[in-house]
Amino acid sequence: MSDAIKQQNESLSTLNADYAAKYGFHDPVDYFHKGARGLNHEVVEMISRMKKEPRWMAERRHEALDIFYSKPMPKWGNQQALGEIDFENIYYFMKPIERQQDNWDDVPEYIKKTFDRLGIPEAEQKFLGGVSAQYESEVVYHSMKEDLKKQGIVFLDMDSGLREREDIVKKFFGTIIPSTDNKFAALNTAVWSGGSFIYVPPGVNVTVPLQAYFRINAENMGQFERTLIIADKGSRVHYIEGCTAPVYSTDSLHSAVVELIALDDAYIRYTTIQNWSRNIFNLVTKRATVHKNATVEWVDGNLGSRLTMKYPCIQLVGEGARGEVLSVAFAGVDQHQDAGAKMIHAAPNTSSRITSKSISKDNGRASYRGLVKIHKNAVNSKVSVECDALLIGDDARSDTYPTMEIDSEKVRVEHEARVSKVAEEQLFYLTSRGLTEDDARLLIVNGFMEPFTKELPLEYAVELNRLIELEMEGSIG
Amino acid sequence: MTTMNKTDVEYTIPEVTPELERGPVWLRDQRRASREAFNVAEVPPRGLHLWRYTDPKTFLYDRDAVADTAYSENYDIVEKIELDNLKNGNIAALATDLGGRDIKLNGADELAKQGVVLSSLSSAVEHHHELVENYLYRLVNARTGKFEAMNGALWNDGIFVYVPDGVTVDKPIHLLRESGLARSSQFPRLLVVVGKNAELTLIDEYGGGSLDENEGISHANGAVEIFGLEDSRTRYVMLQRQASAMKLYLTHRAQIERGASMLTVPLAFGALLSKENFGVTLNGEGADSNMYGLLFGSGYQHFDNHTLHHHAADNTSSNIDFKVVLKDRSHSAYTGLIRIDNDARTCQAYQENRNLLLNEGVRADTIPELEILNEDVQCSHGATIGPMDPESVFYLEARGIERDEAIRMIVSGFVDHTLKTVPDDLRQRIGTFVAQRLERI
Amino acid sequence: MADFVKVATVDEIAVGEILPLTVHHRDIVICRTADGFFAVADECPHDSSPIALGHVDGHEVVCPRHGARFDLATGDVTAPPAVVGIETYEVKVESNDIFVKLN
Ligand code: FES
Repeated sequence: MSDAIKQQNESLSTLNADYAAKYGFHDPVDYFHKGARGLNHEVVEMISRMKKEPRWMAERRHEALDIFYSKPMPKWGNQQALGEIDFENIYYFMKPIERQQDNWDDVPEYIKKTFDRLGIPEAEQKFLGGVSAQYESEVVYHSMKEDLKKQGIVFLDMDSGLREREDIVKKFFGTIIPSTDNKFAALNTAVWSGGSFIYVPPGVNVTVPLQAYFRINAENMGQFERTLIIADKGSRVHYIEGCTAPVYSTDSLHSAVVELIALDDAYIRYTTIQNWSRNIFNLVTKRATVHKNATVEWVDGNLGSRLTMKYPCIQLVGEGARGEVLSVAFAGVDQHQDAGAKMIHAAPNTSSRITSKSISKDNGRASYRGLVKIHKNAVNSKVSVECDALLIGDDARSDTYPTMEIDSEKVRVEHEARVSKVAEEQLFYLTSRGLTEDDARLLIVNGFMEPFTKELPLEYAVELNRLIELEMEGSIG
Repeated sequence: MTTMNKTDVEYTIPEVTPELERGPVWLRDQRRASREAFNVAEVPPRGLHLWRYTDPKTFLYDRDAVADTAYSENYDIVEKIELDNLKNGNIAALATDLGGRDIKLNGADELAKQGVVLSSLSSAVEHHHELVENYLYRLVNARTGKFEAMNGALWNDGIFVYVPDGVTVDKPIHLLRESGLARSSQFPRLLVVVGKNAELTLIDEYGGGSLDENEGISHANGAVEIFGLEDSRTRYVMLQRQASAMKLYLTHRAQIERGASMLTVPLAFGALLSKENFGVTLNGEGADSNMYGLLFGSGYQHFDNHTLHHHAADNTSSNIDFKVVLKDRSHSAYTGLIRIDNDARTCQAYQENRNLLLNEGVRADTIPELEILNEDVQCSHGATIGPMDPESVFYLEARGIERDEAIRMIVSGFVDHTLKTVPDDLRQRIGTFVAQRLERI
Repeated sequence: MADFVKVATVDEIAVGEILPLTVHHRDIVICRTADGFFAVADECPHDSSPIALGHVDGHEVVCPRHGARFDLATGDVTAPPAVVGIETYEVKVESNDIFVKLN
C-alpha cells in the first residue's frame, strides 16, 4: 500500500510542477470591441446589434435589464463579499478579433497556446466529442465530430444556436429560469454572450461527453454565458464544463445561466469543474426540469473564486423523475464557497439524492445551502441528503443551512450532516507507515473527495487531485 | 367571524404606560430602552430566515385595546391538581401567574428555609435588587429583537427563582402561567438563577387563552432567562398547552458556566399559532446541554420552533432531540442552529429532528443548521420526515392489534424517549394530552 | 367545511385589485378581473411568497417575488419559475356579497 501511496504522491508532485506556467499566465489583451465599463440600455442594444440577433431577443435583453435594476441584491449569504461587487466597473461585452473557427488550423496561435497550456488539444485527441472553447465572451473555436452531426445532435455555441435553430431557442430560452428569478439571472439575460446550446433528438444516445472550456482573461471583465440543453424523449447526454482562470488583480464577475430540459425518459448529466482565480465572483443560476421517468444529474466541483454562490436546482415535474446532485467545494484562504442544491418534487414517485462534500482550509469558509421541497402531489417520493464537511485549520469555517419543506405525507425524507477535522488516528496511522504528515493529510483529503472524483472522467479526476494538492501545500493543520 | 380582513396593525408603545413608570431607575431605563427599540425596529421582513414560515405581523397587536379578562374554568382544575401534588410532596412549591398580573405562591416559605427564593419579579426587584439588576435583561433584551423588546417594555409582573450556591432543591418547582380569555394579552416573564453547584428542576406550564376564535384571539409574549452558574445542574421543562384561539410568542435563553449542566424540555401541544425560541449558550469550559423537544400538532395548529446551542467555551457538549408529530391540517416549522465559536475548542454537538406525519394535509418544514468556526469539533445532525412505517403497523395488526391501537402504540413509542426526561407526575398528564390527540385517528 | 362563506362585498374590490383575507384558518386572496371574482391561496407555490402584494394582469395573477403567473380560473402556472399551480377556491356572488367555498 505504501508503494502505491508513494507512486501517487510522486505523480501528483510532477503533475504540479508546471502549475504556475499553466494557470498563472495571461495573454496580452487585444480586443476588437472592448466597449466601455458599465451597464445601460445602450450597451445592451450594442451587444444585440453586434450579434445581429432577432428583435425578440433584443427585447428580452432590455426587459431583463429593467428587471435587473429593480431587483434587490440577495439579503442572505455573504453580505460583505456581495457588497464588493461594483456593477459599474465591469465590461459587459468583449470579443476577440478572430471570428469563430470550425477548423483547428485556423485558430490563432496565441489562443492555441492558451488552450495548449490548459490541455485542450490533448484532451480532444483522447475522447472529445466536440470542443466549444469560449475565449472571452464569445466562442472562437468549435469543432464537432461528424457522427454527432449525423445523429442530428445540435452542439453549438449559444450565439450560433440562436442563429441556426431559432425555433428551438425561442421556444425554450428562459422557460426554466426567467429573468424575474433573481438579480443575476436578469443580468445574464440582459448581457449574455456565448455558452452552449445542445439539442439531442429522441432516442439518441450521445456516447462521448460533450465538453466546453471557458476562461476569463481581461481585467474587470464579466463573463455571462448562457447554456441551454434539451434532451428529447429517451435520449442521453453528458456535458462537461471545466474552467480555470489566470490570476488578475481586480475583481471579476462571472454569472452564468444554465437551463436543462430532460423530456420523458431522457438522461442528462452536467459535470462542472471550476477553478476560478481568487478575485472572481461566481454567481450562477443552474436549473433543470425533469419530465416523466427522466433523470438529471449535476456533478459540481467548486474550487477557487472569492465568492461562489451556486445551488443547482432540479425540478422533478414528471412522474417517476429522478434527480441527483453531487458536489464538492474547496474553500481556501479568503474564499467563500456558498454552494448547495435544490430539489423540487412536483410529481408522484419522484426520487432524489444530494451528496455534498466540502473542505474549508485556513480561513476559508464553505457553506452548504440547500432546499428540498415536496409538493402535495408528490406522493411516494424519496429524498436523501448527505452533507460532509472537513475542516483544516484553526480558523476554517463550515456552515450547513438545509431547508426541507414537506407538504405531502407519503414521503421519505432523510437528511444527515457531519462536520469534523482530519482524524488524528488516521493521520497517526499513515505517518507511522512512513508518510510525511502533509502527504498523509493529502491522502485523507483525496479519500474524502473520492465519491466525487470517481464520477469524473479520468483526466478531470487527475486535474482535480492536482488542484487539491496545490491547495493543500504547506498545510500544517 | 371566521373571516378576517388583514389590516396592518401599526402599534407603537406610547410614552407613558403604567409599566414604564414602575420600579427603580435602572428598571425604568431598561423598559424605556425596550420601548424605544420596539418602536424604531421594523417589522422583520417576511421570508427572511426565521420569519419564513410565520407572518411577524401576527404578533403585533394594540395592547391598549385589551382589557383584563376572566380566566378559563379549566384553570381551577389544574391548579387543584398541582396543589394536591404539593400537598402530597410531589413538588416543592407552586407559583401561579395570572396573565402576568397576579402572582400567588404556595410553598415558597418552606423553600426560603434553604435560602431558595421563589417570588414575584416585582417583589424580587425590591428584596433582591442586586441579583435582579445583575441578571434581568441580560439574555433577552431590547437588542434581541422587536418582540423581545415589546415584552421588555410591557411586562407587568413575572416570576423569580433563585437557588443559592451549593443548595439542591430536591423536588420540582412548578410554575403555572395562565392567560386570559378572548382578546386578552399578556407578557409573562421569568428569571431563574441557579447558584454554583446548586440544583433545580423547574416546570414552567403555560395554559389558558381564548377558547373560541369567534370571540377573539388572545395573545401572550413571554420571555425566559435562566442562568446556571458554575457546576450547577438545572432541568427546565416548558409545557405549552394553551387554548385553541391563543397566539404565543416566546423567547427562552439560558446561559451555563463552567462545569454546569442544563436539560431543557420544550413540550408543545397547544395554541393556534406559536413561535417559541429556545437557546442555550455554553459559556464555560465543560458545560453540557441537552434538549428534548416534543410537539404534537392537530387541527389547524401552526408551530414555529427554534432551538439554538451556542458553544462559546472549550470542551462543551450539546445534544438536541426534537420530535414532531402532526395530524389533521397542522403545520410545524422547526429551525435548529448549532453554533461553535472560533475560540471554543474540542466541542461536541449533535442534533436530531424527527417528524412523524399521521395523515395527508399536514406540513412539516425543518432547517437543521450548523455554523462551525474552528476545526476541533465533532458535530452532526440528522433530520427525517415521513409517515408511520407501514411495516410496523402491519406487524402489529398481524398480531391481532387493531389498527387504531397499533398507531397509538407506535406514536407512544415515538414520544416515549422524550417523556422519560419529564418528572413522573407531569408525565402522566402529558400522556393524557397525547392520548386525547390520538383518539380520533 | 364544504359550504360557501361570505367573505366580502363586491364594492370592496375594484377591477384589478387583490384583497387578502383569512377564512377558516386559511390565508386567501380575492382577485377581481374584468370577468369577475376569483379566490386563490395567498401563498405562491414556488417559494411561499404571499400573493397579496402581487398584481392582477388580465386573467392572471402575478407573484411579487419571482414573477410566476397563474391563471386565476384554473390555478395553472402560465409563467415560470413556479412548476406547480396555485390552489383555487370556488367563488359565487349573490347580489352584493362575495362567497367562497373552501374544500
Ligand atoms: S415565490 Fe412566487 S414566484 Fe417565487
